[in-house]
Order: sequence, then structure tokens, then C-alpha cells
Amino acid sequence: MASVSEMYDVGWEEMRDKLRKWREDNFRNSEQIVDVGEELISEHGSKLGDDIWIIYEQVMIAALDCSRDDLALTCLQELRKQFPDSHRVKRLSGMRLEALERYDEANKHYDAILQEDPTNTAARKRKISILKAQGKSTEAIRELNEYLEQFVGDQEAWHELSELYINEHDYGKAAFCLEELMMTNPHNHLYCEQYAEVKYTQGGLENLELSRKYFAQALRLNNRNMRALFGLYMLAGRGTKENKCSVKAVEEMLESMQITMS
Amino acid sequence: FKMASSFWKGVVGVGLFALAHAAFSAAQHRSYMRLTEKENETLPIDIVLQTLLSFVMTCYGIVHIAGEFKDMDASSELKNKTFDTLRNHPSFYLFNHRGRVLFRSPEEEISSARNQQALPNPIRLRKLEHLH
Repeated sequence: MASVSEMYDVGWEEMRDKLRKWREDNFRNSEQIVDVGEELISEHGSKLGDDIWIIYEQVMIAALDCSRDDLALTCLQELRKQFPDSHRVKRLSGMRLEALERYDEANKHYDAILQEDPTNTAARKRKISILKAQGKSTEAIRELNEYLEQFVGDQEAWHELSELYINEHDYGKAAFCLEELMMTNPHNHLYCEQYAEVKYTQGGLENLELSRKYFAQALRLNNRNMRALFGLYMLAGRGTKENKCSVKAVEEMLESMQITMS
Repeated sequence: FKMASSFWKGVVGVGLFALAHAAFSAAQHRSYMRLTEKENETLPIDIVLQTLLSFVMTCYGIVHIAGEFKDMDASSELKNKTFDTLRNHPSFYLFNHRGRVLFRSPEEEISSARNQQALPNPIRLRKLEHLH
């Protein structure tokens, strides 16, 4: 099988830079990461210097995604050798246990980390992920809420909470989480657009108004946002279809429906 | 270019040296003025020129070393960002997805087929279990 560098005619520096780009932008293209990373580590390990440790971490997580437990174990062992008492490495071994569905052991692992360092956010987030993986969404939501009371600035966690609420169809609370995100990232058109979509799903006259405004805002921030354009189009379509007589009926219907919506 | 950056580093170095030299000359001129009691004379023009020129040179050199400039418009950087990457929260990644089964190598599949009874319930049935 041809190696990555032969197939795409890239040198090891480009491979390393690509891995860095994927890491910084949160790409989850695990198959590619495993291919590129494995080759980089095995053939050019010595040239990487200190970069190799973070690449080990990145490749290990990607290997867990691709069911490459052998590779994951190798990376983990290398990291353990280099950083014997590190909480970050312990978190990685906990993640490996999670991937093997040994959730109780993983939980014990994270509890041990939290005993040594109660402020360790990574271990708390992994515990929440274990609850999510086991399907206990209400507990996950509760734990995440408690986490966010202490660490209010954690944007990843807010977005995760909004996703959990959307899965539970609790759109009001999901909208609240997205509002937090919009407050701290006013220039990010994607949060505006997602907020508008949640409001649109909630329905009800005020929410549709709000939704239209935020779709417009998203487009103002980025006029190439296709979903926002489509959202605006859907909302405009509704406006022209109603004629004067049925508007009142529709409004009344919406009013009565709002009793059941949050 | 590595070659180019060392050139600009040289420019910054020369600029800073010239600036220091001009400062030293100005200080020396001041003490000379005090000694000869000619307080009314302003700084000689060559010192002033040297200061200004070396300042400009240093600034210009630093701009070239500093790296890529970001856009003034904060939102333009995000134009290419999509939900594909925004939605990924690395601290919350789950591994109980179909990738665990899809990428499994053939030998593992054969052995797992034999242990069919020992396999835990597939993920889609797990949520229903809680309802019982």
C-alpha cells in the first residue's frame, strides 16, 4: 500500500503542518489523521522533536475513533513513558477505557484525577461524556449545568449543553445556551444562525420574528452563509402565504400551541 | 523565506543600534552644551535625522518579521468556518459510534460473530432498556 507521502507527494513538514491545522480547527477526520500521523511517527519521528508528543495525543484519539486499539495503546504507552505522572495522560488512558466501553473503570480513573486536582476541567468533562455515552442524558445535563456554574467561560461546554438540550427538545434552554455563546462571540455568524434555527423550531409569533432577525444578522456577518439565507427564505415564504382572514386564526392557534411549548 | 527573515532581523538590529547611537550622541551633545555654557543651541540636525531614520527602519523591519497580519474585520476570518468543525467539542468526544464496528479488522469480526450471545446489546436498543 502506497504511503501517504507517496500518494500525495508531500514531505514530512507538510504532513506535520496539516496535522497541526486539523488539530487547531477541531477536524474529526480520524481516518486521515491515523494514516498521516502513523506514517509521520514511524518514519519521521526523530525529526519532529517535541511536536511528537502532541501528535501522539492527536493520533491516539483518532485511532480510538477508527477502532485501531493497537495504535492507540502504542501512543498511550509512549506518552506514559515520557510523562509518567501527568493528568493529561491519565485522561487519555481514561478515554481509551471509555472507547472499550469499560465505563466504571474509566469513572474510577477520572475520580482519582479529581481527587488529586479538584479543578481539573478535562476529567469532569469526560465524566459528563460517560453519562452521555450511557444514554443518561438528564444526569449529563445536570452535571454539565453544575460544571457551567463554576466555569462560566467554557464555550465548548455551553455549545455541548445546547446540543444536549436540542436532543431533549428543550428548545428554550438550548436558545439560552446559544445566547451565552453569541454574547461572547458577537462576530460569529454560525452561532447567530444556529440560534435563529432553534427559535424557528420553537415556533410562535415572537420566536419567528426573532428568528428572522437573527438569520438577517448571520447574513450580515457572512453573506455566504447558505443556511441563514435559506432560513430567511422559509420565513419570508410564510409571510406571503397568509391572507388577512386566516392570520387571526393562525395567531390564535399559535397562542394555544404556545402553552405546551416552553 | 528563512533568508529573508534574517535580512529583516539584520535591519531591525541595525535600526536599534543606530537609535541607541543617536541617543548616546544626543546625551553627549547635552553635556557638551552644559560644559561650554551654550544652552541656546538645539540638537544638531544630523542627530535628529539619525534618530528619525533609524526609528523608521526599525519599524519597517519589525513589520516584516512580525508574521501574517490578521484582517481588521473580525467576522471575515470566520467566513470559511463551517459547522462541521464548530460542532466538534474535543473534550466531549464520544467513542460509542459505528466507527468502532465499521473499522474493525476481519479477524476480530470472526471472533465476535462466534461470541454473539456474549455481545452487549447494540447501541440503538440501549435507550429502550432504561424505559423498562
